[in-house]
Order: sequence, then structure tokens, then C-alpha cells
Amino acid sequence: MRLTYGLLVGIVMGALLQRVGASSPRKILAALRLEDITIIKFMATTIAVGAMATYLLSLWTPMHFDVKPTYVIGVALGGLIFGAGFALSGYCPGTCLVGIAEGRRDGLVALSGGIVGALVFTLVYRLIEAPLIKPLAYGKITIADVLHVPGWAVALVMGALFLAVVSVVPTVRARKTPA
Amino acid sequence: MTHASSTTLPHAIEHTGVRPPRWAVLGVFFGLLSAASILLYGPIGVSGTYPRFIGAMLRRVAPDYAAANPYLVKMGSLVTPETMLVVGLLIGGFLASRLGGVRAPHLELVHARETTSRQRYLDAFFGGVLILFGARLAGGCTSGHIISGMTQLAVSSTIFAAAVFAGGMGTARLVKAWRPQS
Repeated sequence: MRLTYGLLVGIVMGALLQRVGASSPRKILAALRLEDITIIKFMATTIAVGAMATYLLSLWTPMHFDVKPTYVIGVALGGLIFGAGFALSGYCPGTCLVGIAEGRRDGLVALSGGIVGALVFTLVYRLIEAPLIKPLAYGKITIADVLHVPGWAVALVMGALFLAVVSVVPTVRARKTPA
Repeated sequence: MTHASSTTLPHAIEHTGVRPPRWAVLGVFFGLLSAASILLYGPIGVSGTYPRFIGAMLRRVAPDYAAANPYLVKMGSLVTPETMLVVGLLIGGFLASRLGGVRAPHLELVHARETTSRQRYLDAFFGGVLILFGARLAGGCTSGHIISGMTQLAVSSTIFAAAVFAGGMGTARLVKAWRPQS
């Protein structure tokens, strides 16, 4: 049943990513250059609604939370490397698959690069575990744990803040054109 | 002005805020989907499937190495909901693109130096190497860390998201914007 749920969630997610244009490298670069932040607003809305829905649901029913562990060096360095690759390719590990599905040839090339990147990581894991993953490790902590505040309260405040920001900030940067 | 809209509404109505923007509607749906996923089986995540796929291959061609590699052992079997999610992304992306009527281009040039399709393929390939290496080092990608992780208020995912946008915006600035020659 869990496999079926995964498939169904994937189908809807693929359709949503395709419709919002997240599988277009040009849209991704426009967002990273802050020329057209549609994709960033989409992500912020998703996080806001997701956090509020998840934590409110958790008051009534058990949820399958799976918080990723915090190890500062590996997570921050990984994020910087990921960001560089994101800007170079215009894809992330999921959107290249959606890109392939809608016929983008560079999506297939990015996927091949991704398999090589994951293979390289697998081969060097033993070497980098001690210096990058073991130090500054605090376990599976959330912002609510750190603040000693209930999760639903943090989710509501963060969600409201994100929704307020995306509704106020302009989506497309005004071009400097002579009047 | 460069936006291709699939709606048939007059241009003026779209910009007076009569209808909520598309990213907002799709974002609300994606947020509810992400919560539904945590309710049904667990948070969405894509990048872990890459090493699980490599593990499945290596267990066939080099079973001794695969059994001795601590990372492949840690990541485990390819038979997970996450693998099915990846299959779903292909199906959902295909259906949405066919039913949408607007065909995606085979190739979009995104950087100034991409004067040939070969350069676009090189950027896509090496960018692909970096996103998976970075994602596996950090323990997740856009979906697992930024979307699901921040949805669960994880400290690690907040650090990851900040680092991704710093690295991404810095790199985008370094590699100048591609402009159509007109």
C-alpha cells in the first residue's frame, strides 16, 4: 500500500511541477537571478501550507514524520554544492525527471550527471564521513525543539510569515526602462 | 510580458487580481500533497533513489563491494515508496505536458556561454553531478530537504535551503544571463 501511495503522490507531484514550470531550466535561472521568482513563491507557498496542514493534522492523528539529522558542515557544504549545480544545470534531482517526461533532452543529460554524482559520493563516503558528517551533529532536531515551543505554533507563525511575504513581494522584477 | 499563459482570460483581468496567481494555487495543492504524503507513508524525497539505484546495480555486478560499502548498506533496497514516487514523477510530468497542449522545447539555452547545444549539455551534465553529490552529502534535495524538511520545521533543512540559495544565486551571477540575439 505504501508503494501505491508513493506512486500516486509522485504522479500528482510530477503534474504540479510541470504545470508551474519548475522543470524549465530557464525558469529556475530566472528565479535564481531574482528576475522572476515564480518558482520561489511556489515553493514558499508549498512549505507554508504543508507545515500548517501537517502540524494541525498531527494534533488529531499520528503522522509519519521523518526529520533529517542536522550535521552543520556536511549540510551547509552540500547545500552550496547543490546550489552551484542547480544554477549550472537549471535542474534538481526531481525536476530533471519531469523534464525528461515532457521531452527535454538536457534533462536526460542532467539525470546521467546525477547518477555519476551519486556514484562518486558512494565511492568517497568512507573518506568524507569523519570530517564532514560526524562533526557538529545535533541529531534530528526541529526549530520547535530548539525554541521549546509546540510544533503547531511554529508552523502557524512560519506559514503566515511565508504567505505574507509571497503576497507582498513582486513576482517579476521591474525592468529599468527609460520612461 | 514574456509569460505564456494557457488561460483564455483577457490579459487585463489576469493582472487585476481577480483570480489568484497560478503559482499560489499550485503551491497550495503541493503543500496539501506534501502533508498527505506525511500522513500516508512519509515525507516526499527524490535524491535518495539515485544511490539506491546504484546499490541495486552494484549488487548485481559487484555484490561483495556493495555489501561492504557502508553507504549502500545504509541506503538499503530500491523497493521503497520513494522509488515509486520517481516513477510517478515521470508519469505525472508526461500526462500534464500532453494534456496541457503546450509542448516543452527539446532544449533551452540558459547561460550566455551556451552558444552551442554541446555547451548546454555540458552544463546540464556537470550541474547534474554537483546536485546529486551535494544532495547526498547534505542528506536530501529540493524535495526531501527544502520542501519536506522545512514543512517538518527541521533545523538541517533550513540550513540546507539557505546554503542552496546562496550557492545558486552566487553561481547564477557568475555565469551571465543568456539573452536571445534579436
